[in-house]
Amino acid sequence: MTAAPAHLREEYAGGLSGYLAQADENARLNAHELGRKALRGGIGVLDLVALHHDVLAGLDRAGPLRLDRAAEFLAESLSPFEMSLRGYREANAQLSAANKDLKEAKSATEAANRELEAFSYSVAHDLRAPLRSIDGFSQALLEDCADLLDDAGKQHLRYVREAAQDMAALIDGLLSLSRVARSELRRESIDLSAMARHALSQLQRAVPGRAVETVVADGLTVNGDSRLLRAVLENLLGNAWKFTRNSPNARIEVGATTSDGARACYIRDNGTGFDMAYAGKLFSPFQRLHSAAEFEGTGIGLATVQRIIHRHGGRVWAEGAPGKGATFYFTLWSTG
Amino acid sequence: MNADAAMFRDKRILLVEDNPRDEALTLRALKKHNFEIAVVVKRDGVEALDYLLAEGEAANPLPHLVLLDLKLPKVDGLEVLRRMRAHERTRLLPVVILTSSAEERDILESYRLGTNSYVRKPVDFVEFADAVRQLGLYWLLLNRMPSAQEIL
Repeated sequence: MTAAPAHLREEYAGGLSGYLAQADENARLNAHELGRKALRGGIGVLDLVALHHDVLAGLDRAGPLRLDRAAEFLAESLSPFEMSLRGYREANAQLSAANKDLKEAKSATEAANRELEAFSYSVAHDLRAPLRSIDGFSQALLEDCADLLDDAGKQHLRYVREAAQDMAALIDGLLSLSRVARSELRRESIDLSAMARHALSQLQRAVPGRAVETVVADGLTVNGDSRLLRAVLENLLGNAWKFTRNSPNARIEVGATTSDGARACYIRDNGTGFDMAYAGKLFSPFQRLHSAAEFEGTGIGLATVQRIIHRHGGRVWAEGAPGKGATFYFTLWSTG
Repeated sequence: MNADAAMFRDKRILLVEDNPRDEALTLRALKKHNFEIAVVVKRDGVEALDYLLAEGEAANPLPHLVLLDLKLPKVDGLEVLRRMRAHERTRLLPVVILTSSAEERDILESYRLGTNSYVRKPVDFVEFADAVRQLGLYWLLLNRMPSAQEIL
């Protein structure tokens, strides 16, 4: 016991014995005040109770009246603790209830996820099969009955095949979007610079004839799910690649900047750009700012990007102007 | 490698496919690439297993390759694969899963159960036909398997 609490103990013991001897209101309030002071000074509740007993024992022949008074006083002293104890118990009970709710919500989510998975599975399997028939037998007609079809007839069949393949791409897009929602999020350290360079080299390999200047900043390391973040980069770089198709000096830049105090990675291109008036539509599924004839696409890529970034506790946004290119920014829970 | 009909003489494929149009497209793709080959078609998992696992008098000549869809009536493709691998007669028989599904768990489970290959059927018929051509060339001509006596 340190010097200050010893002093406080004595003070309290004095006040308490004063009250037990005198039994007047001022003495009672004074004793309580000294008790609170002792508590504030670092004396424990149990110490206080022990002190109480010491004081009683120290008084000459504590009669029944003093015992009653002492018991009542002790109860008064301890009632705040009883209250807080009850508070803890209630808080604990609420916490258990909340925990139970959480568990129930979790199993409901898991059930919903399983259902979604079964649904996606069915979509993957059953919606694609008819498309294969539509495409396959259109091609069969083109091959087997070429002599019976005039140019317009052949063109119609080519459109049928294109439509079937577009729908297959849409189904795949939807599936990847739903996969993002239900897959487990892993957290690992990722070198985004290397990942971006790899994605760009893949794009270059697919279209070897295109000349695009690419600039990727070094040291873009983040924490996140590598498979999902690869999908983000592939989508954003794929867009940049696509929308710089008609730019004479196509340039794609990957880097990092600071936005509202958070580190944001960005992908910038000098391609066809977009009107900021439609910026809100960019990330909604099936929304496209270009006609399919102008630029192909399903309108699912950026919705997938947004979902992935949200799952990483981050934010994604875009800036652009028609003919002046576009920049897509994203933050994650912990960049850097 | 160019295929000519003679190279496929005596080769047999078992196609397990419940969709008659997919069946027609697969046969068309084989024919398109000049694979003159015997194709046995079974339309559900039970038919396929009956064909493969029948023994004694009822035994059928084993195919050189099984093209197996995953979603099948009665017994699905994964179960067909599991039972094939559990059976002495078919445990080493080349199986290619040929399906619409690109779900990671289907791919994983197929390999876990011992598939030799997993190919997603492309919607584009030109791609589909090319996939069938490559599978035929690889599994029926290029790849070597132990003889039936060795397997048993």
